[in-house]
Amino acid sequence: MKITFPHMGNVYIAAKTLFDDLGVEYVIPPQTSKASLELGSLHSPEEMCLPFKIMIGNYIHAIENGADTVIITGSCGPCRFGEYCELQMNLLNRLGYNLDFIVIDSPGDIGLKELVTRLGKVSTGSMCNRMDKLKAVLTAVKVVNLIDEVEAKARYLAGFEANKGECKKLLNECKNKAMDCNNGKTMIEHLKKYIDKLNVVKLDHSKEPIKISIIGEIYTVIEPFSNLYIEDKLMDYGISTKRTLTPSWWVKNLVLSPTNMNQLEIKRKAKEYLPYMIGGHARECIGEAVLAHEEGFDGAIQIFPMGCMPEIVSKAILPKISKDKDFPILTLVVDEMTGEAGYVTRIEAFVDLLERRKNHVLSRC
Amino acid sequence: MKVGIPKGLLYYEYQPFFQTFFEELGAELIVSPDTNKDILDKGVKYCVDEACLPVKVFHGHVSAIKDKCDLLLIPRIMQQRQREFICPKFCGLPEMVVNSIPDMPKATMTPFYATSKEKLFDWAKITGQEITHNKARLQKAFEAAMEHQSKHKTGFDDKGSDLRVALAGHPYNIYDNYLNMNLVKKLKKLGVGVITEEHIDEDIKIKEASKLYKRPFWSFATNNYGFTSHIANNGIANGIIYISSFACGIDSVVIELIKHNIGDFPFLILKIDEHTGEAGIDTRIEAFVDMLERRSC
Repeated sequence: MKITFPHMGNVYIAAKTLFDDLGVEYVIPPQTSKASLELGSLHSPEEMCLPFKIMIGNYIHAIENGADTVIITGSCGPCRFGEYCELQMNLLNRLGYNLDFIVIDSPGDIGLKELVTRLGKVSTGSMCNRMDKLKAVLTAVKVVNLIDEVEAKARYLAGFEANKGECKKLLNECKNKAMDCNNGKTMIEHLKKYIDKLNVVKLDHSKEPIKISIIGEIYTVIEPFSNLYIEDKLMDYGISTKRTLTPSWWVKNLVLSPTNMNQLEIKRKAKEYLPYMIGGHARECIGEAVLAHEEGFDGAIQIFPMGCMPEIVSKAILPKISKDKDFPILTLVVDEMTGEAGYVTRIEAFVDLLERRKNHVLSRC
Repeated sequence: MKVGIPKGLLYYEYQPFFQTFFEELGAELIVSPDTNKDILDKGVKYCVDEACLPVKVFHGHVSAIKDKCDLLLIPRIMQQRQREFICPKFCGLPEMVVNSIPDMPKATMTPFYATSKEKLFDWAKITGQEITHNKARLQKAFEAAMEHQSKHKTGFDDKGSDLRVALAGHPYNIYDNYLNMNLVKKLKKLGVGVITEEHIDEDIKIKEASKLYKRPFWSFATNNYGFTSHIANNGIANGIIYISSFACGIDSVVIELIKHNIGDFPFLILKIDEHTGEAGIDTRIEAFVDMLERRSC
């Protein structure tokens, strides 16, 4: 059994540690690229949303590299992500691939027993005892927290760095070298080393960079290919960015959600505009927009794939927030047809607008 | 008190409930006219571009009556069955409308769970507060509304014609004759009878849908998948027409599931959006009916 999984930002680093420690064979699909998207859109239903198409591309690439089992999380929210597993199974079967799917679904829907069996399937190839398995999972959670910390730090400090491009260089170096770490312990050490390195990056405190918050649909904000590397682009412009939705946030949210204690702050902020959970991360998007304004950000960029149902609702609400709080928000819709030139022009225009607002005499009134 | 009821989305399903409830409370009802060009244009103007056609049309209906009423009914329909949802856009509908259309009167924001009588009464209690605080009156109006709703029957089940197609899709696409360009009438003119999902037992639909690997968590998905599956397996109709609005997230999944399930059973998908040309639709329906005729010979 060779396990694979779809890409989503830095998840592959944590997954690598998990499978290394468990001693399970796995295949990491090649980084998402134009080739994966083209392959995915060739085989996917036309009206499906972008994440589905990219995932199909990931799977096929991984299968070519020898994978035979796919792990994917499910959900039962009103968003169509929950239906991915069934459609993807049918689709890959039709294409003639003989694959096993392990769908990690919520216990409320499939029953706790089924969930445990499915989880057990993941570690069938593992020689570890129960204690070591649990340890491996905890290490993986730690890794995902650390890599998200590295990323968040690098993205934020990019606006203040004295030597332009240093943070970006460190971040890329960190990710590249992470692939050489073969167990959880070295991975954690490696990531900690880079946090230290980022802590001593030379900063220019006289700078007042533009700060932008990235909000929107979780997959398209986390997977850099799907948003055409917007955060890297903003880093190059010397802009500090912040993004709340990360894989580590998702894990924390999942663990806390049965107690209803998850992301209290965001819920509170969103209450005025969208008091109910409507599926996907629409409420988070609204809450983050309000929060970004209160934290002194200059603007926010909302990203979602074409046709995303929950984000369409938040897109309808964001202009009101923008107007109420005098807070610029740009919405970018991505799909397989997104042209880079038009996309960049819009981002640049938005950044120009923020810059002028900042320099305007009345901006601090 | 004048209560405005927009004739869009699930109005076709819950019309007796809403109308009776507000009438019994002594409110004057302002129901928006049937969908027309003006309403569609207004909807497109106000609504977010990415939304689907029915949601845009709903915005149009709201803008047509918003100046004539004191309270606007925007049902936030969350669930129709236990453990199933409708669509994220329904759950956020009041927010979408209120934030997109300027100069709105007060709108109803309370979540509407059609899963049980108690939950429906919760909705009625809170919404009725706008008109009266008298509990007995609320209770009476609610009972009357429930009674009217239970008598409400929609759907088609034509018998006696040589050919019969199953018309699947969301209720607001099937019953809004402006959106679907009189599809049912057109089919009848071609001598084709129509059957819709309301005439198949709910248990059968749920049973069919439970054969899927993952239990569908949308009511629309259960209904349409179960319905078409039952039709195709038992040969109840000669073919299936699925009428779907462009960029509908639910349909993008359901249609794939149906296609995978029914094999080579005749299946026509009609996509509608605000640009749909009538001539193209006519041609496609005629070609489909021709095909069915030849198959049945």
